[in-house]
Amino acid sequence: MSRQDPRYHVNLFRPKEGHMKDEVLIILIVLIGWAVVTFGFQILLAFSRGRGIGDLLTGLTLFGLPLHFWFTGQFLPLWFIILCLVFNVYIDRITAYHSRKRDRTYE
Amino acid sequence: MNDSQWTIGIVILVLVSFILVGLKQKARESMEYGFGGRYTGRIGGGAAIASNWMSAASLMGLAGLIYLNGYQALAYVAGWTGGYVLLLVLLASQIRRFGKFTAPDFVGERYGSPAARFLTAVICIAISVIYCVAQFKGIGMIFSFLFGIDYRHGVIYGGLAVISYLVLSGALGVPRNQQLLYFVIITSFIVPLMWLAHRLGYFWLLPQFSYGEAVGDLARQYRIDFAAPFNSGSVYEWCALCFTLMVGTAGLPHVLSRFYTVPNLRDARWSVVWGLFFIALVYWSAPAYAVFGKLIEARMGHVLPPAAARSMADIIVLKTAVLSGVPGWLAGILAAGALSAAFFTVAGLLMTGAASVSFDLYYRVFHPQASELSRMKVAKGATLALGGIVLLLALNPPGLIAEITAVAFALAGNTIFPLLLLGIWWGRANDDGAVAGMLVGVVCTFAQPLFGSLSPTVAALFPLTSSALCGAPLVILVMIAVSLATPPPPEQMRRFLASEVHGHLG
Repeated sequence: MSRQDPRYHVNLFRPKEGHMKDEVLIILIVLIGWAVVTFGFQILLAFSRGRGIGDLLTGLTLFGLPLHFWFTGQFLPLWFIILCLVFNVYIDRITAYHSRKRDRTYE
Repeated sequence: MNDSQWTIGIVILVLVSFILVGLKQKARESMEYGFGGRYTGRIGGGAAIASNWMSAASLMGLAGLIYLNGYQALAYVAGWTGGYVLLLVLLASQIRRFGKFTAPDFVGERYGSPAARFLTAVICIAISVIYCVAQFKGIGMIFSFLFGIDYRHGVIYGGLAVISYLVLSGALGVPRNQQLLYFVIITSFIVPLMWLAHRLGYFWLLPQFSYGEAVGDLARQYRIDFAAPFNSGSVYEWCALCFTLMVGTAGLPHVLSRFYTVPNLRDARWSVVWGLFFIALVYWSAPAYAVFGKLIEARMGHVLPPAAARSMADIIVLKTAVLSGVPGWLAGILAAGALSAAFFTVAGLLMTGAASVSFDLYYRVFHPQASELSRMKVAKGATLALGGIVLLLALNPPGLIAEITAVAFALAGNTIFPLLLLGIWWGRANDDGAVAGMLVGVVCTFAQPLFGSLSPTVAALFPLTSSALCGAPLVILVMIAVSLATPPPPEQMRRFLASEVHGHLG
């Protein structure tokens, strides 16, 4: 790969300095939040069945729903909205920051 | 008029009024509509994203599966909302900056390969056809319910109705009013639900929350545990389905092009947040229909056996409303919302599918000298041909609405999503990798029917509706391996990716 101009390397895990580095950081944070809350919760629920935490998750109720049902059916869509909101606010901020630094990366 | 005539009358009224409103709008302003509607700000953009997304699968199929499988089917709720997170953070801005707004266009440009472009076009058309089969099933079930005829006649009349509607609005040149469509869909879904909650004795103003009590009542009074986790499937199946729907969202051809109707990137990003909120409004409500449906059955004293429940699960929303005695006009509003969602989804998918046949296959591959006129003719013929294929397939639907739709998501997630992802985020991905990846992706999607009988492991790892949890990572690995073993893509494309798509050289 060394014979190619390294300035033109695009790789999610090796972002360029500046706007792209900040962008990739927030992307990875949001993706971790997305994966852990969606799939981590289901795995926790499945493996804690019949034990303390599992009983708590299915036993407690919120709005009349068992906690796990409320979490998956109602909180997860809300969580995704929050993630998108956080992402947009952050991207708006780094865009403003880097355009002040004359790094015209955007639009 | 009796109740069912009221219902049918309301349905016809709503569908006709879409054409009338569209015509009036067209006469008032002669603007360029492009991909579906003028710009109406971030909230309007969000409503357009949501109405583009809503289909028979969201409005009928989702409640049906929750009614059948309880907690297990919440994978659809999470999967059909969480996909927008992936789409927003990984693809939306970059693909917009890349400047190609259909999957075949993007693949053709990025990988510079006619073969990859051809394959992508074929896959996109297949996705549209599978997706439409599910819509036709929904339309057929509503027609058979409204007119009291059997399913096969329902789907034939419904199919003819939707194709005539498509031809008529195409001939009149009616623009789609996405904001109005969203308003009709959401009102027609939530108002009957409020009525239902009131009738059954729960807090009617926010049925999205008050159905929780009904879940408790079902468990206490009738010993039906609706909420028990992983009762009708394993946690692997849950996660595989949810993941498949999420990556499929980001790969669906008609979802991608939505980002081009909003004039600037920032508003496009923010309209996703609004769109997701508008979509979530429906998904917060759908489980309530399922729970109320179960409760009414339990109160009337006949809980259906599994086979009978499965055969009517897709119409549970309407059936619940009618069983609880909603007035005919309200049932009509409910049916009209679901029907218009299905009609416009079919219209959008058949038209993009036909455009793809005409442009990507006929013009690009077979007849590069074809004139504008002959391409138009091919597109019109292809619309009817695709409609006919969908109708034939829908006569014997292979599963429930949401399940059929999930197969389309799996195909998109296994093929289009990896191509977009690596195409944007890895400059080294090349045309050989793309072609190999797509072929592996198609095999992964249909691995269960193809090899399931030979190997139970394959059948367990790649369920037909949820093959992308293993499929998409496998395709990505294949693409990386094949790309590294073959020459890199042209310098020009790598430069374009680095400087235009990923910003200023710093």
